[in-house]
Amino acid sequence: MRIQGTKKTLAAGALAAMLAVAPAYGQEITIAIGSEPTTLDPQVRDDGGERAVNDNIYETLMARTANGELVPSLAEGPPTQVGGTTWEFKLRDGVKFHNGESFNADAVVFSVERIINPEFNSEQGSFFSTITGAAKVDDLTVRIETDGPDPILPTRMYWMKMVPPGQAADPGFADAPVGTGPYKFAGWNRGNDIVLEVNEGYWGDAPQVQKVTYRFIEESGTRLAGLLAGELDVITNLLPEFVGQVPQSANISGLELPIVILSSLGGSTADVRVRQALNYAVDKDALAESLFEGFAEVAEGQLLAPSFFGFNSDVQAYPYDPDKARALLDEAGAAGTEVELVGTSGRWLKDRELVEAVGAFWSDIGLNVNVRIFEFDEYLNRLFDRDTRADAIFVVSSNELLDADRPFSAYYHKGGIGASNEDDALAGLIDQARSETDVAKRSALYQQAVQIAYDQAYFLWLLNIEDIYGMSERMAWQPRVDAKLLVKEMRVDG
Amino acid sequence: MGRFMLKRLWHGLIVILGVTVIVFVVTRMVGDPVRVMLPLEATAEQRVAFEKRLGFDRSIPVQFAAYVGDLVRLDFGDSLWQRRPAMEIVFERLPLTLQLTAAGIILAIVLAIPLGIVAALRPGGLADRLTVTVSLLGLSVPQFWLGLLLIVVFAVQFRVLPTSGAASAKHIILPAVTLALPALARLVMLVRSSMIDELNQQYVKTASAKGMPFIRVVGMHALRNAAVPVVTLAGWELIRALAGYTVVVETVFAWPGLGLTAIQAIERQDLILLQAIVFTVAIMVVFINIAMDISYKMIDPRIRLA
Amino acid sequence: MVDAPSDHSVASPDDIGGRPHELFSAARGLGKELWQDKPGFIGLLLLVALVLVAIFAPLIAPHDPAAQSLRERLLPPAWVLDGSWVHPLGTDNLGRDVLSRIMFGARVSLLVGTGVVVVAGGFGVFMGLLAGYFGGRTDSFIMRWVDTQVAFPGLLLALIILAVVGPSMTTVIVVLALNGWMVYARITRGVVLSVREEPYVEAAELVGCKPARVLYRHVLPNLTSPLLTLAILEFARIILAEAALSFLGLGVQPPATSWGLDVATGKEYMFRAWWLVTFPGLAIGIVVLAINLLASWARVTSDPQEREKRFARFMARRQAGAGTREAIAK
Repeated sequence: MRIQGTKKTLAAGALAAMLAVAPAYGQEITIAIGSEPTTLDPQVRDDGGERAVNDNIYETLMARTANGELVPSLAEGPPTQVGGTTWEFKLRDGVKFHNGESFNADAVVFSVERIINPEFNSEQGSFFSTITGAAKVDDLTVRIETDGPDPILPTRMYWMKMVPPGQAADPGFADAPVGTGPYKFAGWNRGNDIVLEVNEGYWGDAPQVQKVTYRFIEESGTRLAGLLAGELDVITNLLPEFVGQVPQSANISGLELPIVILSSLGGSTADVRVRQALNYAVDKDALAESLFEGFAEVAEGQLLAPSFFGFNSDVQAYPYDPDKARALLDEAGAAGTEVELVGTSGRWLKDRELVEAVGAFWSDIGLNVNVRIFEFDEYLNRLFDRDTRADAIFVVSSNELLDADRPFSAYYHKGGIGASNEDDALAGLIDQARSETDVAKRSALYQQAVQIAYDQAYFLWLLNIEDIYGMSERMAWQPRVDAKLLVKEMRVDG
Repeated sequence: MGRFMLKRLWHGLIVILGVTVIVFVVTRMVGDPVRVMLPLEATAEQRVAFEKRLGFDRSIPVQFAAYVGDLVRLDFGDSLWQRRPAMEIVFERLPLTLQLTAAGIILAIVLAIPLGIVAALRPGGLADRLTVTVSLLGLSVPQFWLGLLLIVVFAVQFRVLPTSGAASAKHIILPAVTLALPALARLVMLVRSSMIDELNQQYVKTASAKGMPFIRVVGMHALRNAAVPVVTLAGWELIRALAGYTVVVETVFAWPGLGLTAIQAIERQDLILLQAIVFTVAIMVVFINIAMDISYKMIDPRIRLA
Repeated sequence: MVDAPSDHSVASPDDIGGRPHELFSAARGLGKELWQDKPGFIGLLLLVALVLVAIFAPLIAPHDPAAQSLRERLLPPAWVLDGSWVHPLGTDNLGRDVLSRIMFGARVSLLVGTGVVVVAGGFGVFMGLLAGYFGGRTDSFIMRWVDTQVAFPGLLLALIILAVVGPSMTTVIVVLALNGWMVYARITRGVVLSVREEPYVEAAELVGCKPARVLYRHVLPNLTSPLLTLAILEFARIILAEAALSFLGLGVQPPATSWGLDVATGKEYMFRAWWLVTFPGLAIGIVVLAINLLASWARVTSDPQEREKRFARFMARRQAGAGTREAIAK
């Protein structure tokens, strides 16, 4: 006697039993992500794997459209500023967590206080460093306090996931998440997969995909094999080389900008003419067209993509002009001097290839380039060394908030962790912009900062890398600017 | 027997002690996990706090004492990467590695014995030459390369087996075959040469002359005598697989066992988790060694356990 | 025949003059035997070719292995459509010549292999000689050490060291040597123990030869053939181990090149550029196969019993062959 018939069971153990009784209708997809979440508590880690899953379980007060525009989500409308350091949010009515708890002002206050508590030691702390507390006004109104005027607080709230006060204290919360989102947690088979099922009581539009399985595959070659073998529906970080080989692909301008930090503090690069020469020497178009097979745009002389806040559209990339580069080197008397270029391997998409290619371009204009690829540990040593800065350090900046504040504080500001300049004017502009609440003025400040850094050539700006996704034949999905994998936006044909 | 066991256990303890010291010296005195574990934008204060939380700010002797204390309680602390007890992760992943190792070694033994015997029956014959050639090839192909080849052929081209992961019984086939191949090659060669030697012995000829069926001669006598070296090698293969080859095979097939976890821990500079893995494997290796010594005695009473 | 020990502390011209000659004729004998064993001979040929390629890589490689050309990346091998003989085995993800990289990669494999065999072999033989010759406490201490280290989970410890110290060719050599010396010590000790009982060794000791001299003149020669076989086998193991470590990202680091590293890089492009994993993988396989063929010949050759069997088979074949020829002639 055979009861189960032809139904394919996908998962082992208890999950298999669950599947056997589940109705056979509805769409099921499998998504491969690069790393297994270390926890499913949405407020603890700064972890891409966790985010990929929890973005579908949890929601935030503010969200972004696929194009990056900030819109209300759990908030009913855009927040309003009450006084210099307070923002007020009206909340959406009738939203419930998956366990039946109501989403209300108490939940927001709880979520805010939980994540900013120093004891809680959240890795996401730096996203919320300005927030000092939250207070309930009535059941559906909350005020969030900051330590000074904070123009990007609404943007920050796009990053803060709302957790249920009744459940979050439970010791099993990190393994069995409970949110308000379109999908609810169904199972986590450690090492193998995480399964989510559609939340029938979701407040928004009902998603089409009924069930999603996440698999964790680090090696991009293995992910690709899985897609080609028909085991996977969506894979992230597809190499540009394979766009022609997968059943379907989709790409979008991404959050990652690779740059080379040029030291103005000493060595041959202390001379601004040398730094400019290093910019003129690199054929960024060739990098974009060949190395990335067209799936990258040349960065416009700034650590920002056009869609990010603070972008200066008047500044354009240094053109490829090796003759001018050589002339500048001669002028500076630096022809043939040694330049140390530090990079790492396997951390970012094509990181080693980029470093090696840049090194080759610099050699072409007659520099003695010393390319040094370090293992990540050793590489960080060089990046963080405040006393002796290497002439040139390759790094990739990832801008999750789509705003100039974080990357500029880290790399442009002279006190930043990865800065190799001591430009007071530049640092002053960044400090000023941080507490400027007038959007237009703030934008102008960043544009000034962009111009200074460009003129001084504190960096070699390379590319804006596109995110490429591989998909199975049956998928229909348009990737998002913020690189989130929102299953509710995905559709399956047949 | 009791004294023998005590001696073996004592020896095992020394091995574990050696591992302890080496791992401590390497991780605490050479590397700096603090810097690597924090995100790029972390401040100096965050670094100091982190160091304090892990106890890396204490003096080396104090750290060592605390460290040995932790080991005795099998508490390595929380994995830096996953923020939960390292042993919890180890116990979660260990069964997968044991399954894979067992599948690979059993496959190797089960295939090696008949193949080796068939080859030994007519040394220099077609079966023998074929076996020897294929074994030599098996010994020469890099395992990671073979694994990739199997994925391309069986998973992507023919789609008969899954590419990676450990979600069902089908998933174990390709990694187990990859793991088994070099062990199989060495075992076949050993079974073959042992059997050739045994079959040339006088007692085999006598037994055959007395009219004992050949199958029985091979099965009862020759095989039993050939078993000692084969068991020794099989034990070695088991240790080799467990403490080494699985790392490569699990990486190729994204098989979420201890080996893959070890590589992931290295990539994330999670030395706490890495230590827990190395100790667990070291302890298992010690026990396999003891088990091997005992099994000699059971197979071959001529060996005195002293 | 035996002089006073003091005279022999300086090597006499006779010693130097006689040895190479004997060695030469012995080598010729071996060569002849090797010629009879076709697989072993082919293995040796392949190895010699590899050594030559590695040594003369800068002269014969068609391109600089590090020279990249982004416009010419991922070109297929010459005989495939779109391929060209400028890059006979195609180019990699940065437009570097695969053939040249394989030639230079051979250097890493040979260097690591030789380095580890020399370091591990040297140390292991030394410890084995000490243990076997002096016996007693020295012996039990060294052998206890060996037993202990053999029971270590070697590769995992290697991983810890590589992870913390940081991978490089030197680290790889040291780590593999640390894991490999014990087997040399065991074999050496075994041979020394059996040789010690031989009358000529006892005689040498009786007349007052210093231990170093006894070991060098009388014991070491007995070790040559088992150690040679072992070293060859270890060499093959090490080439595979280096490739595996580099594949895992814990071995040779870019921009240096190694076959294992090339396979690891090529793996990303496996479904678009099969040549990137295929050729370095084949290179590893062929070299290890060559070494194994040579080793299985050496093992048989160094075992007197096996030699006898082989000689018998050879004679039988020759007679049979002669018979056939006669039959044909008639």
